[in-house]
Parts: sequence; C-alpha cells; structure tokens
Amino acid sequence: MIVRLLGVSALVAAAAVFPAVAGAYPVKLLQEILIWGVFAMSLDLLLGYAGMVSFGHSAFFGIGGYVAALALKQSPHLLSALVLPALAAALAALVIGFFSIRVSGVYFIMLTLAFSQMFYAYAFQVAWLGAEDGIIGVPRPRLLGLDLASATVFHLYLVALIGLAALVLWRVVRSPFGHVLRGIQENEGRMEAVGYPVNRYKLLAFVIAGIVAGVAGSLYTQFVGSITPDAFFWTTSGEALLMVIIGGTGTLWGAVLGAAAFILLQSLVSSYTERWMLILGLTFVLFVLFAPGGIVGALSGRVGRRA
Amino acid sequence: MSFVPDFFGQALNGLSYGVLLFLLSVGLTLIFGMLDVVNLAHGSFYMLGAYAGLAMIAVTGNYWLAMLVAPLAVGGIGALLERACLRPLYGRSPLDQVLLTFGFIYLFEDLVKWIWGGRIRSIPPPEAFSGSVQFLGATVPSYRLFVIVFGLVMAVALWLLIERTRLGAIIRAGVFDAEMTAGVGVNIDLVFTGVFAFGAALGGLSGVIAGPIQSASPPMGAGILIPALIVVVVGGLGSLKGSLVGSLIIGQAETFGKAWLPGASMVIIYVVMALVVLLRPQGLFGRALK
Amino acid sequence: MDQLTRRRFLQTASVAAAGAGVGPWVLRAQAQSGPVKIGVVLPYTGVYAVLGESITQAMELVFARENWTVAGRKIEMIKEDDEMKPPVGIRKTEKLIDSDKVDILTGPVHSGILMGMRDKVHNSKTILIVSNAGADAISRERCSKWIFRTSFSNWQPCQPMGGWVAKNVSKEVFQIAPNYQAGKDMMAAFRETFLPAGGKLIAEDYPKLGETDYAPYITKIKQSGAKAVFAFFSGTDAVNFVKQFDQFGLKQTVKLTGAGFLTEPDVLPAQGKSALGVLTGHFYTPVLDNPVNKQFVKDFKARYNNKTPDGFAVQGYDTAEVILRALKAVNGNTQDKDKLVDAIAKVEFDSPRGRFRFDPKTHNVIQPFIYVREVREVPEFGLTNVPIDKVADVRDPGTGCTLPA
Repeated sequence: MIVRLLGVSALVAAAAVFPAVAGAYPVKLLQEILIWGVFAMSLDLLLGYAGMVSFGHSAFFGIGGYVAALALKQSPHLLSALVLPALAAALAALVIGFFSIRVSGVYFIMLTLAFSQMFYAYAFQVAWLGAEDGIIGVPRPRLLGLDLASATVFHLYLVALIGLAALVLWRVVRSPFGHVLRGIQENEGRMEAVGYPVNRYKLLAFVIAGIVAGVAGSLYTQFVGSITPDAFFWTTSGEALLMVIIGGTGTLWGAVLGAAAFILLQSLVSSYTERWMLILGLTFVLFVLFAPGGIVGALSGRVGRRA
Repeated sequence: MSFVPDFFGQALNGLSYGVLLFLLSVGLTLIFGMLDVVNLAHGSFYMLGAYAGLAMIAVTGNYWLAMLVAPLAVGGIGALLERACLRPLYGRSPLDQVLLTFGFIYLFEDLVKWIWGGRIRSIPPPEAFSGSVQFLGATVPSYRLFVIVFGLVMAVALWLLIERTRLGAIIRAGVFDAEMTAGVGVNIDLVFTGVFAFGAALGGLSGVIAGPIQSASPPMGAGILIPALIVVVVGGLGSLKGSLVGSLIIGQAETFGKAWLPGASMVIIYVVMALVVLLRPQGLFGRALK
Repeated sequence: MDQLTRRRFLQTASVAAAGAGVGPWVLRAQAQSGPVKIGVVLPYTGVYAVLGESITQAMELVFARENWTVAGRKIEMIKEDDEMKPPVGIRKTEKLIDSDKVDILTGPVHSGILMGMRDKVHNSKTILIVSNAGADAISRERCSKWIFRTSFSNWQPCQPMGGWVAKNVSKEVFQIAPNYQAGKDMMAAFRETFLPAGGKLIAEDYPKLGETDYAPYITKIKQSGAKAVFAFFSGTDAVNFVKQFDQFGLKQTVKLTGAGFLTEPDVLPAQGKSALGVLTGHFYTPVLDNPVNKQFVKDFKARYNNKTPDGFAVQGYDTAEVILRALKAVNGNTQDKDKLVDAIAKVEFDSPRGRFRFDPKTHNVIQPFIYVREVREVPEFGLTNVPIDKVADVRDPGTGCTLPA
C-alpha cells in the first residue's frame, strides 16, 4: 500500500517537473495524454467496474468543454473553469443516465450513442455555439492570483487537477460503493435479489463518470483555447473506448496507459508515414490476439511469469 | 403543387433508401444473431464490395458480373477474418471483438487507399437502368426501382433460406443454442464461418448495389457503420424481419424528415432509435430481454 | 549523392533529437544557415485526402523546380496529417511550431482547424499561409497580421455568381448547401448580388454534411417550380448530389449552378456525364489560356502520372511561389519576421489563375478573376470546366478587419 502510494506520488512529481527537462511539444503531448487519460479513466469506471459500455461518453466531455468555453469568455475564474462545467455535466449525466440505464448491452451502447449524437447535431448547427467552427479564443482562468496563461503554472494546475480526479476515481472504486458496482457487473440479478437498488447505483456511477468527463472536457478547452463540435462526435467516445480497452479495463491506470499509447501512436507514427492507419489498425488486431487484457494485462502477465 | 404525387414521390424515395439500408444491415444482423458478434467492420465489407465491384467493372465492363463476383470476394475475406482472428475471441469479453473489428476498419480503409488511391469513385448504373421513369406523377430513376425490387426479392429469398431450408434450420438452432446444436452432430465451427462469410458477402453486395446511387471512397465504410447499427437495433438484434421493417421505417422517417423538417435532418435517425429503445427495448422484432 | 543523403539524414536526426528534448542548442545553431522549414498541416487520410495531396504535389513541383533551394538555403517541407479533426490539427500545429520550429506554416483544409490554429499562430507570431480553408472570418474580424491566404474566402467564388445567374440563367432560384456555417455563408454571398439583380429566392434547404441520399431534396426542388439551383457541395457530397440530380432527370428542366467545388476535378470523374452542363463559379480551371497555366498543366501532368491539376493544386502552387519570392526578397533571412511579413504582403506574380496579389487590407488573395465555368467534354482534357464568362478583381469585403495593425 505504502509502496504503491510512493510510486504514484513519484509519477505525479515526475509529470509535474517534466517541463524542466523536456521541450515544449513533449510537454503538450504529456498534457494531452493526461487530459484524455482522465477522460478514459472516467469511462473505465463505467466500463470496467459497472459493466456499462457507454458509447456516448463524448456528451459529457463536450458539455464540459462548451460550458467552460462559454463561461470563461464571460469571466475567467475557477467557477467558470471547473464548477459550472462539472455541474452541467452532472445534470446531463443525470438525465441521459436516467433513460439509458433502463436498458443494457447493445441497447445501452446505442442509446448513449444517440444522446451524444443529438448534442453533436445541435452544437454543429446553432450559431450561439459557433456552429461547426465551435468556440474559439477562450481565455485561461485566473486562480488565486495565479495567471494560468503562463505555461508552467498551467502545467502544474493540470497535473494537480488530474491527479485529484484520478484520486477521486480511485477512492470511488475502492469504496463500498465500488464493490457494489463490481457486484453488479458480475451478476446484476443477484445484487438486485440481495436488495441493492441496482439502478440507483448505476445512475450514481454514470453521474460520477459524467462529472469527471466534464472536467476533462473543460481542461481540454483550457488546454487548446477552443472547442469544436467534434468533441461531441461518436469518434471521441470511440477513441476513449479504444484507449480503455488497449490499456486494460477495470484498472483505471490502464486507461491512462491506453491514452498514452493511442496518442503517441497517432501523433508520432503519422509524422513518419502516411500509412499510420494501417499501423494503428494492425496494432489493435495484434493486441487483441496476443495481449488480451490490454497493456496492464501484458505487464502483469510478464510479472506473473517471472514470479 | 399537388399533395398526392408529392407525397407518393417522397414515399418512393423513402422506400428505395430503406431497401438500401436493409441490404446494408441484414448481414450485420445475421452475424449478430448467430455469432453474438457486433461486427464494427461491417461497413468495411460494404466498402470492399464497392471496390471489388469497381475492379470487376474495370476489367469486364459488366455491372451484373460485378454484382456476382464482388460479394464472393468479400465473403472470402470474411471467412478468412473469422477463421484467423475472430475465432480465438469467442467466449472472451465482447470488448475484445470491438477492438478487433475497429482495428480492421482502419486496416481495410488504408489498404484500399493504398491499392486504389483516395480519389472518390463511382459505379455507373447498368445501361438498362440509366434513365428515369414517370410513375403516377412522380419521377423515379429506374435504377432505384431496380434496387427496390431487388431488395424485396432478396428479403423473400433470405426468409425462405432461413425459415424453409435445412441449412436455415441449422442456423436458427445455432442462434438459439450453439452448444446444443453442436451436440446433435452439426459442425458448428463450419456453420459459424459460413454465416460470417455470408454476412460479409451481403455487406459486399450492398456496396455494389449502392455504387451507382452513391460514391465510393475509402472512408465510406466508417461512415455507414452507425446507420447500419441503428437499423439493427431498431429492428431487433438478429431478426431478419426486424432488419427489413427497421430499414423501411428508418428510410421513411429520414426521407419525410428531410422533406418536412429540414432543420432536424441530422438527428431524426437518432430520435427514432432512442424512442424505439426506450419504448420497446428489445427492438421491434427482437426477442424479449431476459 | 551519398553526401546529400547523409546530410538529409543528419538534419532529420537533429530534428528528432531536438524534438525529444535533448537540447535546444542544436536548433539554435541550425536556424541561421540550416534549411528553411515549411510546416504543412493538411489532411492525408479520409475523404479530403485528395485535396491535401493536390496542394502538396503542386508545392513540391515548385520547390523541385528550384532544386529545393532558396537564397542559398535548403527548403525542407515537414508534412503532418490533420485527419480533418480539429484536435489532431491543433496538436500537429503545436508540434510544428514548438518542436520543429518551422519558419512558415501552411494549410489547413478544414475551417474549424484554421479557427483553432488562429490564436496559437497569432500569439506565437508564426507566419501562416492558408492554402485552402475558406472561413470568411479569417479575412474579417479574425484576421491577423501573421496570416495570409492564397486560396479563397468562401464569399469569393459565390458572390459574383448571384448577379450572373439572375441575368443569364434565371431569376427563380432554389438554394441548397450542407447544414453548416460555410454553406450558409456561401448562400448568403450569392444572394448579395442575386436579390438586387431582381432574383427571387424560391426556397432554400440545408441537408446534413455527409448526406448520401438527396432524393427528398431533389423531389422538393422539382416541386418548387424553381428554374435554377445554386448549390454548394464538396467531396462525396458533391458526387452524390450531382449524380442523383441527374438520375432524377431534373437536368433537363432545372439548371444546376453552384460554387466551383461542386465540379472540381477531385469529384468530376466520379460524377461523369451527370455533371455535363453544370455552371459554377471558381478562380481557376485547367483549360485557362495563359502561358503560366499552360506550363503548369504540362509540368504537373509530366510529374504526376498525367494527372490534371485542379484549383487545389493552384493553391499549393501559389503558396509555394509566395514563399519562394518572399524569401528571395529578404535574402533568406527568416529571423526578422516583420520584414518577412512585409515581403509576403508585397509578393506579386503571374499565377496559373492570373495576376496574383494579396489584399493589403486583409492578407487574403484578390482573385484576378472568378470564372463562370460550364462542364463540357473537351478533346485534350476530357470532362472539364470550360470558362464562359468572368468577373475581375474579386476581393473579400474584409468587414471588421483592421490590418495593418
């Protein structure tokens, strides 16, 4: 336990001081990996713990991103950067979750997809959200007298917040609530029979995941300085889903590893060859066939064999 | 403006679009019903069919030959894919199938781009159906009439195959309980491969059929995936009847939506699906959920 | 030869090393005498890959003509695939600016990516030469001293068409474009000259982007009684719309007109004979009768397997020409960015499309001509856009842009 805590602290510290040793672009890549990583982690809470395969998680990423963009343009403060996006995402998750958790399996996948695509269509078409160009020129917030326009301050702010979000998710899956979720994933009928209000648990998990995804979306807006309707598009959900699966479901930190693998593959390979889609596709296929359980599975498998 | 021919014209448009959706989705629903595999690469089969058709037409100049050969080629690719990659995944988490078939979307798209280039192409309609006809006051391209007739004939033929032949009986038994079917001496492995290949061939066929109406380009497979999934869900997973009725409903809903509610054209299909899933979660003709 | 390869390798290696964060010193030493780095952000995968390909091919044609050298410095193009996705395009932009430290940035195709890049480019004082994306805002309220555009603003190919269609085709027009801002902007630009010329807008419709079945819209056009259609579509949408419009037999009774992209060579072969007779407005067509264009078409075909260049290729050609001429004017000095910007603004030359120059007020190209083109079958070119009329000196109004600032 203590070893793990030390390990995690060391990782956070390493991420925090990364800009001191790396160029501007690697830092940007790291920041993007962290943002997508926390988004993928929030999806893993649903996917790997509650057994809910959501294909509409982009809805909350997009809502967080758009609310942050609108609010930061009004007043660049903490309230706009975090509180409002989280509240909006929570509300949306409550409504979408209320309907979606009534069904399961493929129907849950498709219903969540439908909701996120409705948001996409709306954001793509209406002028007050900037239509297909989205909202641009979003300022970064000021926080306790610190101006986040500074690259160093922003990096530390990002690492701190993402560390916090990860901690929250970790606490959630470790809590009695998390154990009930796992129980639901294993055998929903039994949990119901034992007397757990299964739907209420699922809805709460959905809302927590939505909030974290909303915060990730808001951080993404602050990171780029703009947000476009693509944030809502189903490929955003699809990519997060791939990140979780590549990393290994039900581990949380696997989602971050998956995000790192996905983004590094996508951005580095494509700089060297036009055939990056082929390589990415082949990687997925080989992964499924030879490394079930994702990166985490492969890593722990090796550890296991050595022992 | 007269209401009746207008309405009739749009209904015909909806019918031809719906039939196209049926051809596109029926393979997907068969594969799902039998193998319990959500094959995200189904759109890729559609794309491969269009390109195989283009290649055949380039060589022979004959559309009908392309319609025959392209599905066979795609079916072969499907059989290979099932044997080599999908087979080891049965019994594993369905998420593995998602990752695998998603990987094949990328793979096939880039391979096709590599071989044929990224340029947009299209299949010219066969000579006999290149014009348009007047039909009760509405104008319809004759090729669309052909698609409607062909699609409905296919629906009947598939129904006969599945409901009235021994092979169909085996498939139905396999859908119901694969282990039991294997137990009575059926080579279930072969049936699985066969069904997957058949579903892939149907996807390929829809690519050739859609070619003269739409265009072909490497990303077309990824684009058609979502509408195909929606039809399958609306109709009920694994149900042939559902895939036909679902397609026709979506076809009409989209067409009249475009005609009467132009601002909503992006969301109609999702609204229809959400309503169906909420009101009748198993889809129109799906088996009731346990 | 060996030496050249080795030098190339060393350059790449040092770039990679700098990218990995090994040391900024390598870069600084290189910046004075090393290659001029041109960053290119374009789609190389997906539906719009053909556009990225055309733009890139023409740029490479021009640079190859100069043996990849300008004012004594090597030219190095660093190409990045933006996948037409804003997050990816923005990530690649940051890579090119922060890691590769490019001297000049060009691209993108997608207006959303351009809008996302805009602040990054503006704040870091990176010179961006837009080689396709037509968002009007970049020549208007979002214009920047650091941003030039060699392609077009969406307004440019459409505004002159309004008056022309009203006068020469019909005063009863049905408008149709994809349901997004660029589509609506183009339709509005058309109406600016169409309505004052006595035109009457019968109806308008906005199908979704990526629509595959236009039958309901085509039936509505037929029922509306309009005598002509003004349409903007591109890519697969353009192919599907034009083909289906023809298959419904509407071409005989309703004249199809539109923005140039409707029948550009990236879609024309797939449209085939369905496109015959379609009238569009655009700044270029490969059959233009001027010596620069004739040479360009000849060289392009020779280099790229007999491929006929399109408007996108001309955008790439002009982007490369602008870069070359500006760098020559400042003697290859890319350190003094203000001087380089001034030099770019002053560039003027004969392009395949006519006399090329930027509007000093907006840094957007002044289209020497917007041609009204009809799709015909021509012996040497096959199906192509033949100019039948033209409007000279089309410059974006630049409302809200306060350059030089």
